[in-house]
Amino acid sequence: MGNPGLRLDMKKSVPFAIVAAALAAVAFLPRFASAYSVVFCSSVIMYAALSLSYAMFSGPTGYVSLATAAFFGVGIYTSAFFGKSLPLPALMIAGGVFSSVIAFAVGAITLRLRGVYFTIFTFGLVELLKHFVLWTETTFAGTRGRTVASFGSVTVFYCMLALLTALLLAAFLLRRSRVGKALSAIGESEDAAAHIGINTTAVKLLAFSLSSFAMGAAGAVMATRWAYIDPGIAFNSLMSFMPALMAIFGGTDRLLGPVAGAIVFAALEEQLITRFPSLYMIIFGAIMIAAILFMPSGVTGLIRRRPAKRKEDVPVGDS
Amino acid sequence: MKKHALALLLALLLLLAPALSAGCAPDGGDGETSPTPDEAGQTPAGSVEGAAEKDKIVIGGVRSQSGVYALFDETAFGPIYRMWAGEVNADGGIYVEEYGKKLPVELIIYDDKSEMDTMTRLYEKLILEDKVDLLLPPVSTAALFAAAQIANQHDYLLIGAEGAAVSIKENIESYPGFFCTLNFSDTQVPALTEVLTEGGIESAFIVYIEDLHGMEYSQAAVPAFEAAGIEIKGNVSVPPDIGDMTPIINSAKNSGAQAFLMFAYPDQNFLAVSQAKELGYNPDVFFIGSGGSFDSCKLALGGDEGVEGIMTWGAWNEKSSDAAAEFAERFREFNAGDDTVFADWWGHLPYYVSVQVLQQAIERAGTLDNKVLREYIAENKFDTVMGEAWFENHMLAAECYLGNVGQWQNGVYEVIDVGGNRTAEPVIPKSAWK
Amino acid sequence: MLLTVLNVVVGGLIMGGIYALISMGLSMQYGVARILNVSHGEFIMLGAFFTWALHTAAGINPLLCVAICAPPIFLLGFALHRTIYKRLRDVTRVSGLFEGNAMLVSFGLMFVIKNIALMRWGSSPKGYSFMAYSVEFGGAVFSANRLLVLAFAVCVSAAFYVFLNRSRLGKAIRAASQDAQAAALFGIKINRVMAICFGIGALLAGIAGVLLSMIYQINTAMGMNYTIIAIIVVVLGGLGSIPGSLIGGFALGLIGSVVAYIEPSLQLVAYYVIIMALLLVRPKGILGR
Repeated sequence: MGNPGLRLDMKKSVPFAIVAAALAAVAFLPRFASAYSVVFCSSVIMYAALSLSYAMFSGPTGYVSLATAAFFGVGIYTSAFFGKSLPLPALMIAGGVFSSVIAFAVGAITLRLRGVYFTIFTFGLVELLKHFVLWTETTFAGTRGRTVASFGSVTVFYCMLALLTALLLAAFLLRRSRVGKALSAIGESEDAAAHIGINTTAVKLLAFSLSSFAMGAAGAVMATRWAYIDPGIAFNSLMSFMPALMAIFGGTDRLLGPVAGAIVFAALEEQLITRFPSLYMIIFGAIMIAAILFMPSGVTGLIRRRPAKRKEDVPVGDS
Repeated sequence: MKKHALALLLALLLLLAPALSAGCAPDGGDGETSPTPDEAGQTPAGSVEGAAEKDKIVIGGVRSQSGVYALFDETAFGPIYRMWAGEVNADGGIYVEEYGKKLPVELIIYDDKSEMDTMTRLYEKLILEDKVDLLLPPVSTAALFAAAQIANQHDYLLIGAEGAAVSIKENIESYPGFFCTLNFSDTQVPALTEVLTEGGIESAFIVYIEDLHGMEYSQAAVPAFEAAGIEIKGNVSVPPDIGDMTPIINSAKNSGAQAFLMFAYPDQNFLAVSQAKELGYNPDVFFIGSGGSFDSCKLALGGDEGVEGIMTWGAWNEKSSDAAAEFAERFREFNAGDDTVFADWWGHLPYYVSVQVLQQAIERAGTLDNKVLREYIAENKFDTVMGEAWFENHMLAAECYLGNVGQWQNGVYEVIDVGGNRTAEPVIPKSAWK
Repeated sequence: MLLTVLNVVVGGLIMGGIYALISMGLSMQYGVARILNVSHGEFIMLGAFFTWALHTAAGINPLLCVAICAPPIFLLGFALHRTIYKRLRDVTRVSGLFEGNAMLVSFGLMFVIKNIALMRWGSSPKGYSFMAYSVEFGGAVFSANRLLVLAFAVCVSAAFYVFLNRSRLGKAIRAASQDAQAAALFGIKINRVMAICFGIGALLAGIAGVLLSMIYQINTAMGMNYTIIAIIVVVLGGLGSIPGSLIGGFALGLIGSVVAYIEPSLQLVAYYVIIMALLLVRPKGILGR
């Protein structure tokens, strides 16, 4: 057949099919794998979802957001408040909606900041929410922590898997959409993007709140596994750093990069922490350094190197 | 093909992930078949497994060996469970009747980095994959609450160590397998109030850390003090990362309160002590919370002289009883040569009681079945380093403790409770800082 | 009233001096070498622990430790840049990518240094007392060691400022921070300058650690908190601006002191509110370009 369009579509659908098949295979995990691997995979999927949603916004725009823990925490508190009266999928959506609303409000005032300034602002948001929740809890509720209803590890697993699937699809569609193209344009040069008529604020705001939806939803699901939470646990800045690290490690310019980064990171950590509890940080740190030095464009950069398209396409080191 | 390499790699990784997680399991076919299908459903592993092949008791715990709570594993419960396991194994193990022999103890300890998701996940790993016979508790109140729930879901027994607080009493009915051996504000605050009243203290300035621990002690102390006629001159909360206590010390000084009480963690407590010294603030009673009962606090506060006169929660010492003296001696021997391990004159005795209770319950009930053990523990008395010990509503009975308040005197941690547990008279007012 | 003001202001200046000192090094590393060094706090921890070890084991005066600890920590920083970051610069030619990767590498370094310290010193707090008496002026009472730390922080900052503005190397550093490409064209050995800058950043952190050990109990997990404060101060003052770090540090210290006087538990919240507010008004920090 001489129809190039169809050929192209078929070619494109191959990786699509592979990923779909992998996800479907993972869905049967509770049937054939051990009970613990279901628990472990929920954690891996949590990291994958967080780093993927991080990369959805930060990847193309170059805005490094450390607000992941803030939105994750909002989801956690959603479950703490409503966990006893709502089913898990409803909690998931509620957590996502609350996160998006907050992200929208925060984004509206902060997205004019650039570079590290934006990063610091988002980091501050985590601490601010932590202390705000702590203050309201101690002042009005006379408590510090809350117990969270439990739904069982298999339910948690399927909810997380559904979330990841939806997120992969959303991220895929976003990259293809006009908004996605506009985000990349912003990453290359925000001023130029504005010049050619892109409403940069609206585009950034949309992507920022969209990406925070998944973070909140993930928080709402995972909280049910933790049984007890307090502001320090819910708003833990490690949950901002880890997904960012995983995404950069995996490579943010590929759709599946963050997912690969999350899987490699989480599996590596699990092995080290259970086998070498007193040495795991040294080994983990050393592997991280070596990995960056020997594969600077992330895990996915190993597969196919393509010329990086960045705003500052200037060599840094000549001496 | 190259184009799809990434997707293929990812698919591979996704499928490999469970295998990676299971890599630690001793045998390949983990969890697929349980050796003896058991009508009782999810009984903890080990209780019914073939008696012939059972050659050790596996005890697992998730402990904070790095991160903010690492201090507690290093100095509090950590040295105790290691010492206990060493002693048990030197003795040939614990006799379990259902297997008809002594079984040595094997510890599996994972590090949770002081982080919640890792902690809960690794407990599931211990239970589901490593199929441990018994669990050791995690570090910190929040972690203990969460672990109690997980243990409960799988019908495991969990005897708490560091953390947990009086507020867990509200939920205690929902955790039939959870027990707590450490003493808290409900026994300690009344004991402190008695000591203060006896010493003629009429006014107090309270500083507490803004978390469950600090709030609980502050909320218990204020009404107790007022009822005893001690005037509260201040009740101030501080954040965990406070960097300068000067304004607080100064206002305590200006308030003229006779007693200064700091209900916080080692970082804040030690800062309060050193700044009080620098600013020449020497009230009649200087009280600090957690960390003050560790021998290691001398490292932070300038030796025997540096801690002289400071009061803290506790309490026991070598004069409390012969069993306590003998325990302290064994502890010293076991840890000789390790310069990171120090005695804790608050928790070490109750922590050791928790493992003794576990051991005696196994020996007397003759089983490793956690459900049987928890019934046994709830209903019986045990012979421990604290003397006879038993649980009332899952908490160690108040009468069991060898003391609740201590004071450093000439480098020795003395129990100063009013009554029979006292090992030395309290020094009120305390001498000047050196 | 006047007494209260004096108390609050001097208390704020003391914290500010510490903040300024810990953030200058970070500002330097980011401003010139483009490395947001997340392991900055670990160098502070190393300085503090070396001092504690030297003081308690050999009775060496902590002030002397500034001179003893400085060269090895500088060399450590210098060597790290020469080995790891230099290679990273060679393999990543794109500056946006370099910054992200450099941050990842410093995360790795943080884990490694922290773990080594944990293995060596454990996690219980350590401390010693040095000049633990009070000084009174104008009726207000202050700890002598804190005043000493303030004086020292100001001296180190001033010396550093003079070094940057007067010395040949300092001028080269400033040139490199403004435009590395152009500086290279003028014959400045960029790689060497960057390694020196990274070393100086580590050195300033080490000195801050020495000073902090005089007034605080220290532990092996202390680094991260200081890293975060340093990043905040650097952003507040303007990235890469040394005077900005000074002003930012003192501003943060003073604000913290005022808030702590009113409501201690809101101190940290106040920091973030102020920074967020400032960033909205001046998105590039107080002295940002």
